[in-house]
Amino acid sequence: MYQDERKLFTLIGIIIAAATLLLLQVNAARTGKLGPLVWAGSTVVAFVEELTSAVVGGVRDAGGTVLSVPQLGRENATLRDENGRLEAENARLVEALAASASQAAIAPVAAEYPNGVEARIIGFPPENESRTVTIDRGSRAGIKPDEGVVAASGVVGRIAEVGPFSSTVLLITDYTSRIPAIVERGRWWGIAQGNLTSVRMQYVSQDARLRIGDVVVTGNGRSFSSGIPIGTVVEIDRSDAALYQTAVLRPAVALGALDRVVVVAK
Amino acid sequence: MLHYAVVRNVEPSLILVVVVWYAMRSDISRATLFGLVAGIGEDLIAFDSGGAWTFATAITALLASLPTRRFFEDSMPFFMIVVGCATLVRDLVFWSIKKAEGYPAGLGTLHLHQAIFQGALNAVLAAVVMFVARRFDRRRAMAWRR
Repeated sequence: MYQDERKLFTLIGIIIAAATLLLLQVNAARTGKLGPLVWAGSTVVAFVEELTSAVVGGVRDAGGTVLSVPQLGRENATLRDENGRLEAENARLVEALAASASQAAIAPVAAEYPNGVEARIIGFPPENESRTVTIDRGSRAGIKPDEGVVAASGVVGRIAEVGPFSSTVLLITDYTSRIPAIVERGRWWGIAQGNLTSVRMQYVSQDARLRIGDVVVTGNGRSFSSGIPIGTVVEIDRSDAALYQTAVLRPAVALGALDRVVVVAK
Repeated sequence: MLHYAVVRNVEPSLILVVVVWYAMRSDISRATLFGLVAGIGEDLIAFDSGGAWTFATAITALLASLPTRRFFEDSMPFFMIVVGCATLVRDLVFWSIKKAEGYPAGLGTLHLHQAIFQGALNAVLAAVVMFVARRFDRRRAMAWRR
């Protein structure tokens, strides 16, 4: 009896719930809205579909990745080789650009001295005790001792030693370097002697009215013809008690960044 | 050799560091011979040194080999001090010979300042060299143990 009553109440409850849902569906249909049954159903179905799609897509992608690993490996190797080749090519082009820049810089000097020998700096003194550099041209290229060496912007030095394939250039900043020099503005004479990082123009007459910024050029001497820039006056040492005055010059050529030079025969 | 490591016109000398390193670990005759060979190599490369590096480096190597009879050669501070002093001694001998060969006189103060600065640079380089050498020694010792 008790079980029968339970069954009866269950049936009645189902009928009432179904009727309620039906009324809600009809009401929703009339007003154009989504009914609760459809809403619940579509929500659940959409969730299930999305979950299924994600799972299937993940499995498909994983499978595709696993299958494409050999091909990816081949592509990776190819790209690595290509990258290495391009890097080497880039380095070569950068070097060529730098070399062409220095070649372009020295070209006017080489044109001005058609009998000059163009050379590259290849070496430096082992302990930096002397201001010299080694160039890659020697007696076989026609270079002789005491010939002048110039760069694009002025005097570099003179040839001190000559070997068959290389030569040593004594820079103008070396203590043992002495070059006849003239102040361009007033044509005052002096001797340009090296002073480690600068050049000192010594034995300049006290009558000379030197100024900071005066350009000093070579005088006619053993290694150079006149008129090649040596440097610019940056300091003047003048004492009324001295016989001569001295000017400190900043070299016209950046001697710390030499690359190409021209050896000129006097 | 370290031309691109020039600081204020002073270049550290790897050759001197290596010569002192060897001199501190060998006897007088071998150290002097090694310094002689290193100096000859430098004279061949240098301009107008007239054998000055040969004498200077050989004498420096000889003097550097003397203290090792009483002091530990694996001590980094001691090695740095010896390298610094060796720089001063070598420059003194070098420029004395150069002056005897006719190099312009009156530059003693300048060369002294340069030598002191170079001594400091060489001492730093010696520390680096010793540090690297110790690493290799440690790895070789560990490999031998295996």
